[in-house]
Amino acid sequence: MTTALASTPSLAISEDLRRGETARLRWRTGFDRWMGWILPLLFLVAILPILDLVYYIGAKALPTMSWTVLTSTGDYQIHDALGVPIESTFLFVLSATLISVALGLFGGVATAEFLSERVASWIRMSANLLAGMPSVIVGYFGYFALCIYFGWGLSFIAGVFTLSFFMTPYIFRTADLAFSSIPRPIREAAYGSGARPTQYILRIGTPIAFPQILTGVFLAMAIGVGETAPIVLTVEPGLLVPNSLFAPATYMTALIWTGFNQPPSVALTVAFQAAFLIIVVVIVLNVAVRFVAAQYRKRLEGLYQ
Amino acid sequence: MIAAPSPAFDGPVLSTRNLSVLAKGKPILDNVNLDFGPKSLTAVIGPSGCGKTTFIRSLNRMVELTPGLSVRGSILYLGQNIYDRSVNPVLVRRRIGMVFQRPTVFPMSVFENAAFGLRLVHEDEDTIDREVTEALRRAGLWEEVKDDLNRPALSLSGGQQQRLCIARALAVQPRVLLLDEPTSALDPMATQRVEATMQRLKEDFVLILVTHNVGQAARVSDRVAFLHTGKLIEVGKTGEILERPREPLTEQFITGRFT
Amino acid sequence: MPAAIVIGIAVTLVFASGLHNFGWAFWGLAFNSNSTAANTFSPGMLVFIIGSFLTAIPALVLSMLIGLGIAIASTTYLPSFLSKILDPFVDLLAGIPSVVYGIWAFIVVAPIFGTLLNPWAVGHLAFIPGFAPHNSPPISPTSAGVGLPISIVVLTLMALPITTLLIRDALRSVPRDLWESGLALGATRWEVVRRVSLRHGSRGIFSAAFLGFGRAIGETVAVAMVIGSALRLPVNVYDSTWTMASFMFQVLDGAFGNALYLNALAELAIVLLAITFIVNLLGRRLVTHIYAEEVAGL
Repeated sequence: MTTALASTPSLAISEDLRRGETARLRWRTGFDRWMGWILPLLFLVAILPILDLVYYIGAKALPTMSWTVLTSTGDYQIHDALGVPIESTFLFVLSATLISVALGLFGGVATAEFLSERVASWIRMSANLLAGMPSVIVGYFGYFALCIYFGWGLSFIAGVFTLSFFMTPYIFRTADLAFSSIPRPIREAAYGSGARPTQYILRIGTPIAFPQILTGVFLAMAIGVGETAPIVLTVEPGLLVPNSLFAPATYMTALIWTGFNQPPSVALTVAFQAAFLIIVVVIVLNVAVRFVAAQYRKRLEGLYQ
Repeated sequence: MIAAPSPAFDGPVLSTRNLSVLAKGKPILDNVNLDFGPKSLTAVIGPSGCGKTTFIRSLNRMVELTPGLSVRGSILYLGQNIYDRSVNPVLVRRRIGMVFQRPTVFPMSVFENAAFGLRLVHEDEDTIDREVTEALRRAGLWEEVKDDLNRPALSLSGGQQQRLCIARALAVQPRVLLLDEPTSALDPMATQRVEATMQRLKEDFVLILVTHNVGQAARVSDRVAFLHTGKLIEVGKTGEILERPREPLTEQFITGRFT
Repeated sequence: MPAAIVIGIAVTLVFASGLHNFGWAFWGLAFNSNSTAANTFSPGMLVFIIGSFLTAIPALVLSMLIGLGIAIASTTYLPSFLSKILDPFVDLLAGIPSVVYGIWAFIVVAPIFGTLLNPWAVGHLAFIPGFAPHNSPPISPTSAGVGLPISIVVLTLMALPITTLLIRDALRSVPRDLWESGLALGATRWEVVRRVSLRHGSRGIFSAAFLGFGRAIGETVAVAMVIGSALRLPVNVYDSTWTMASFMFQVLDGAFGNALYLNALAELAIVLLAITFIVNLLGRRLVTHIYAEEVAGL
């Protein structure tokens, strides 16, 4: 059969419509297309500041950096010598990580394995609340509880514990999640063959959950490195690497804060260098997290035979 | 409610000409030529993977949503190639509606679901009221929901939801209604209601039904088209195809799957 | 375990405040810490409370709007390979330490406000109440840029990763069928998003608002660096003021030895804690599954 092809495009379809719809249709389609261009541009609102920030700090810090700067242990208030702050920060983060891993791992595994659902959900909720707490409040807690009531004063140990309070919920969450998401068949097989809970956790659970827990640790460290308030409020700045638990100590972020508060001087240069180093560490840790997370996903896929 | 007939055109409402759909060079549909005349129900059947879903999704340009597929040939709606560059797919989908496998009601009231398409073009309230009522009647759902049109659509049973989806599609005055295995997620009772609705609707619309259930095709369709690995093997009146298929492939499929 | 820490925090603060009854003066505007004697110490914390809200609420609105735009672009309009590259960038915003934001904002962005944006606004928008310049001169050229506007910008950037992530999650949870049904009825992508997806994901979107607000109101150090630390309510939109968190952070040192002062600060901490608790609780109750999206460190 022959078909009479419409002489103008869309004529046959357009005739079906009530009048006015074509103009409105063009508007609707146009608006949709317009959104398709405008909305993606909003990404720039997020991306440009990061790029500018990293570029600016890098530009200010890199020219002044050198191996000497990084390692010299002179007085960082007079000239840029980052050896002490770097080592100090390192000690801080290491100690705080150890404590928060102890607390968070224990709590996370316990919550995932032993506690009833009701209690578990309360604990998880409190972990989330703790993670969302303003850093100044955790700092206040550290100050009042540790510096004053425990009598530790503004010391290294007070800072370490305060920092660890901040880091614990992240490790807790990942440990909880890691153990909760071990495939049930594996868990049941282990208990079914007579394993005791501690055996299961140590010999089966931990190897499987390890990568995910590692990402949690890196994440917590990245957050810990960037925190200012908990440290500034609980630790007296010191010129030396802390040689005892109650000694004063300095921290990278505290350096930036001090540098900011003083009139432009060497302190500001040091501040920029510190900022740059922190950014580098944070980026490295974030990349590490993604890397480990990807490996973990691959490994987990292998488990689901 | 029913679209006014288009002047100066006689011929099949919908017609595919050498329709092929390729994924990375390999054909999912291969040179399909089918005409769909006015006011009928054509069932498209075939084994899994034969391309029937791809076929039906190409009729309202939904196949474009899957990345990596390319469409060759043409599909003529009232003589106009809907794949022509100047044709707006949004318009095509108003004229050629679709009902999906699972009931996909929106999280709104029954009334708002049915009115969805009408609100897009800012119809006035009276028209919307009228059209929604009529669409719900045609879908066979009116009696069950007329007392409370504002109740959430998700509170309806599966079968009712599916009929709401049909009403929703009808409300925008399509000429063609595509149904992609609309009863596969429903229980037998609900299936029966939907089939009854389809039988009523085929008197006023062009219905194209993809189904894996040969019995359903036998019950509701006027014509049956059999697809196999992307090719159209056979098409003809329901009675003839199901009882006296000409092609061996058709016969194998039907006898193996008659429920 | 975290529960213990949380309880510990609450208990300590209550203890530290001595449950001192400051009376209605606590909620007043007058603040004077120059004395330890009870009758000359005015613990008016209202400036800080108002300041916190004045900065956090606009920041919330902005970060929700931008977050919505980005999330819609990412899930609907951009091809998937682009989204996969761009999304982590937004998440990276969350990883930058607050003090680094602060110093960048103070040195790079504040002058832009001080020399460009604020004068422009004064020139063109002065007819709107609040946008006219005030009489006291700025303290120094760069600090002419600190105050409300830049604080709001900084807070927006800091809340953005949270809002974007949560809204993106909410939009992604819309089943494919539902999305296609909308298109099949002759709607444009935007119309399906607006009428169907946003409604479907509304819980996630509300959760984004609550959690984003919680972040904005609790932000301490970055705000401390750009708010201007002025003990007064802002007289116009460019003015400096103070927020609860930044005030608490900056004065704790100086309050040493002043028991009343410490009590007052601890009570302010309780107020901030309560606000953060409620907001986070509401936000988390709405969406229980973001537990899994930890890479951004929410």
